[in-house]
Amino acid sequence: MTETRIVAMCGKGGVGKTSISALMVKNLSESNGRRILAIDADPAVGLATSLGISVRKTVDDIRKDLIKKIQTGDAPGSRQTLELLDYEVFNALEERDGYALLAIGRPEDEGCFCKVNNLLKDIIRDLAGKFDIVLIDGEAGIEQINRRVMKTVDHLVLVSDTSAKGIGVANTIALVASDKKAVDFKHMGLVLNRVRNEEEALNISTRTKLEIYGWLCDDEAIRDFDFRGAPLTSMPENSPNLSTVLDILKKMDLMA
Amino acid sequence: MTDIMELFTDTISGVRAFINHASGRQSWAAEKKTSWPEGGGRNIVLKEDLGLELGSPQKESLSCLLWTHDLASIENGRITLMGPDFTESMGESLPFGKVVLAGVEGFTQDNAYDLHKDLDFLRYSIDLKGFMMRSVSQYMREWCRISSTAIRDGFSARTLGSALINLFLEKPFVKAVEVLYLTSSPEDVIRLREITSPAEKIIAAMNKMASEMDFECESCDYQEVCDDASQLKAMRDRLMKKSQEACVD
Repeated sequence: MTETRIVAMCGKGGVGKTSISALMVKNLSESNGRRILAIDADPAVGLATSLGISVRKTVDDIRKDLIKKIQTGDAPGSRQTLELLDYEVFNALEERDGYALLAIGRPEDEGCFCKVNNLLKDIIRDLAGKFDIVLIDGEAGIEQINRRVMKTVDHLVLVSDTSAKGIGVANTIALVASDKKAVDFKHMGLVLNRVRNEEEALNISTRTKLEIYGWLCDDEAIRDFDFRGAPLTSMPENSPNLSTVLDILKKMDLMA
Repeated sequence: MTDIMELFTDTISGVRAFINHASGRQSWAAEKKTSWPEGGGRNIVLKEDLGLELGSPQKESLSCLLWTHDLASIENGRITLMGPDFTESMGESLPFGKVVLAGVEGFTQDNAYDLHKDLDFLRYSIDLKGFMMRSVSQYMREWCRISSTAIRDGFSARTLGSALINLFLEKPFVKAVEVLYLTSSPEDVIRLREITSPAEKIIAAMNKMASEMDFECESCDYQEVCDDASQLKAMRDRLMKKSQEACVD
């Protein structure tokens, strides 16, 4: 039995994290025999959209339902709450060929329900442990990965475009992450997106100390898919960025 | 004093009559030792591996645990199935009913709720390769998935029932266990739910008492249930006394 490998994607908004995550899920889902869980921790459920999935229920919907019960005095006991949440989270899984997706939904609001949030994190961690690879597509920072999904990951993947701002955010996230207080990770690396050519990639590598896992070219096809709202899982197999993402996964030792 | 062990007597009689009048039922003695391989605690069955789904959120589902001190009313080690066996149902999603009848000793008004929960949560200890279960005891629902490999390898109602019965019998206060599984039709699950409904209300009232320690009967949704079951009133009085003693201390 293999241990679960967890990948968390971070980076400035708009740099293409979600598209790269979707291409990773597509590649991973085609590696037969392994269980892949994609966790969409973006409140806008962008990963679900990129995978062509219309989410029925998010973890946040489950949380809100339970809080409503607590507020109306209709809450079950603690053990029953745990099994209810476990049932509902599994029911919220969107199962597709080769992978399953869990959408987290909007961040918590209105009051503190730490117990419910912690129970949900425990359940997500337990569920994740039953998969071979878990990929978390988050918001920009790493704090919400910890706060809303889990603290320990194997790969922290920072994504940036070629802009100074994007690289700056990636470097800042790396600095914040370095003490491993926010997220505990084993490996960290950078994936560059919308790169014009190798020279530009080399040039950027001088502006960061991060290991570069790989770079994706500016792809008209991805832009077109995004524009049409078409799922990236239907990208043609000969798409250059799809094979680049495969190489990145190989470098991360997630694909043979 | 009213006997806590009589709480489910009528429901057990109802379930027994339901079993006896069912047509096309199959029955086996539980295997003394479960030969099915363990799942290693990583049991998850996704749709792509799915061989059979039982009691999914879209289907009728019922899971009920009933106990009694009348050991003679339990046919120890008996597994009864109404409807198609798991091995005959590859690719199906079926309604699901499960009733566990346990013959027990030593239940009192003080410990009955804790021992009930102890038994109820045993289902989470079932670790069989290719079998996954999620449940909501609040709604008495159980949702099982069995992988296609497990179905092909012969995972049957007897396999599952044997594992459950053996787990129950490991408890020193359990002297006899019997399991009924139902996969025949949603209508049969609904009929069984009607029979177990009084027990469902009693268990819900016990859950409420234990979780909230709320003894304001006039405002309680379960007042009628307690009024009908004097054993519950006695249990509530004990809990209230214990609660008051704890406040004084």
